[in-house]
Amino acid sequence: MELHEIIRSLRPIGEEPLRIVAPGKMPGTASGCFPGSAPARGVSECILPESPASECETLGAIDPLQVRIVAGAGTSVRLAVLHTQPMATHIELVAEEGASIALTEIFTAGAAAELSIRQAASSRTHLTLVELAGAEVHCTTDLAGGAARCEQQALLLVGGEEQGLLTLRTNHLVPDCTSRAQVRGVAGGRATGTFRGLVYVAPDAQRTDAGQQCRNVLLSDTAHIDAQPQLEIYADDVQCTHGATVGLLDRDAIFYMRQRGIDERQARQLQLTGFVSELLQGCSPEPLCDALTAAVGERLKML
Amino acid sequence: MLKINNLHAAVEDREILRGIDLEVRAGEVHAIMGPNGSGKSTLASVLAGSEKYTVTEGSVEFLGRDLLTLPIEDRARMGLFLGFQYPVEIPGVTMANFMKLAVNEQRRFRGEAPLSAAEFLRLMREKSKVVELDAKLTSRAVNEGFSGGEKKKNEIFQMAMLDPKLAILDETDSGLDIDALRIVATGVTKLHTAENATVVITHYQRLLDYIVPDVVHVLYQGRIIYTGDRTLALKLEKEGYDWLINDYKE
Ligand SMILES: Nc1ncnc2c1ncn2[C@@H]1O[C@H](COP(=O)(O)OP(=O)(O)OP(=O)(O)O)[C@@H](O)[C@H]1O
Ligand SMILES: [Mg+2]
Repeated sequence: MELHEIIRSLRPIGEEPLRIVAPGKMPGTASGCFPGSAPARGVSECILPESPASECETLGAIDPLQVRIVAGAGTSVRLAVLHTQPMATHIELVAEEGASIALTEIFTAGAAAELSIRQAASSRTHLTLVELAGAEVHCTTDLAGGAARCEQQALLLVGGEEQGLLTLRTNHLVPDCTSRAQVRGVAGGRATGTFRGLVYVAPDAQRTDAGQQCRNVLLSDTAHIDAQPQLEIYADDVQCTHGATVGLLDRDAIFYMRQRGIDERQARQLQLTGFVSELLQGCSPEPLCDALTAAVGERLKML
Repeated sequence: MLKINNLHAAVEDREILRGIDLEVRAGEVHAIMGPNGSGKSTLASVLAGSEKYTVTEGSVEFLGRDLLTLPIEDRARMGLFLGFQYPVEIPGVTMANFMKLAVNEQRRFRGEAPLSAAEFLRLMREKSKVVELDAKLTSRAVNEGFSGGEKKKNEIFQMAMLDPKLAILDETDSGLDIDALRIVATGVTKLHTAENATVVITHYQRLLDYIVPDVVHVLYQGRIIYTGDRTLALKLEKEGYDWLINDYKE
């Protein structure tokens, strides 16, 4: 199945802000669910069906202008958002205490997207972000409660004359949080990919554990990738790693594959697919992940 | 099967192979020995078609065709296999996917139908026994995180999967423990038939206890300076290369 078919088949994310409520809990009143600015319209509440922890609801949207979702304390939700239009979009996610949110966000056109994530204590988020075309994505994550953890995987594929931009800002505002970001970029043709990463650690956010890695492959002499992971650390007891590499396809690996009878085009393809596939492993649900892997494979052929 | 005639090859402006002559017939096992840096791996790479080297003179015939004009993958599909001295890691590509593509590409070249998933798995299970390859390795990325010995076993596993006409094994014995050496060497011997040929590049006699060579060559400074029978390897093991290469030292 195609990506858009799969996402269309999911339970839709409406226009209104949505609050996910744990099963067995009485829905609260509509107002006051969101920290910060009050929503313009009413908040719809979504009560999750009773289900085993491993199976959670998946919601989907195609080309939303705005998505605002609060995962109430202890809830789990999976989201899939597909952007097919070059338009501006804003996604805001809040994970309350112990909540877990997995978001797969895919761009097939040059959209401009703002993504803000706020996490309370012991919450988890897992983000899989894939730019199949040169989009502009700014993602900010606030780890605002102890023992919150975020995991982010981003893939930037640009070709032709495209320009892709990704900024990932992770703010460790309180002690004991963990963040991991893995970014992979592939640029062909005359395209440009830009990655700006920033891990900010607030003055008393001790025992922060943060990692940001960005690896890139250039497919032509005229392609560019500019990768800048940065750290801004104001606490002293922290563990932060970051790094960025930009390279070409491994000629030795291509020789090795061709020596086994695989032609050059397929060898390049296999290597590129390998390079990006590691990144897609955490994505869910499975049919979406399969369709995404296929779409990525198709895209790689054209770079 | 393989006829190398006055082969010269260079990297940048440095000539590394300086006139190699060698003929290998079906059913034969040849050993190539020689001091470090003499050009053994270069010869293997040039035959496989590595683009790092430029052939400046000479010719190579393989199964009646002009090998040097063929692309790397066609040489492989015709049945030329190189067991790498340093097998390459390919992150994110599983051994199973890699081998499936390789086997089916080679089958396509021979005009055979591709193997189904079940047939392929059966073949893989059968061939991994040849070198007692841990089945778990086939679901891992190609050579990634494999131990030195596992990488070498994996080369022979691939050889078993692809069933080549001519296998050139570049120091397949180095990095193997005593048991692994026996397993790998026995595996290679099992794969040897009257229809195929094997060229083993090695520094040690002990591999040749298992894979008994018909001919032993000594490569030095880009030339085969001496050819003998299997007893040459024994003599070299005892006496080193000095008695042979003194005349050639520059
Ligand atoms: N790509 C290359 N660039 C520069 N020099 C090279 C290259 N490949 C080989 N050489 C040089 O050519 C010579 C022969 O190398 P080769 O690897 O063929 O030796 P070998 O006989 O296989 O040695 P060993 O026994 O150590 O494996 C060496 O001096 C080596 O440094
Ligand atoms: Mg060598």
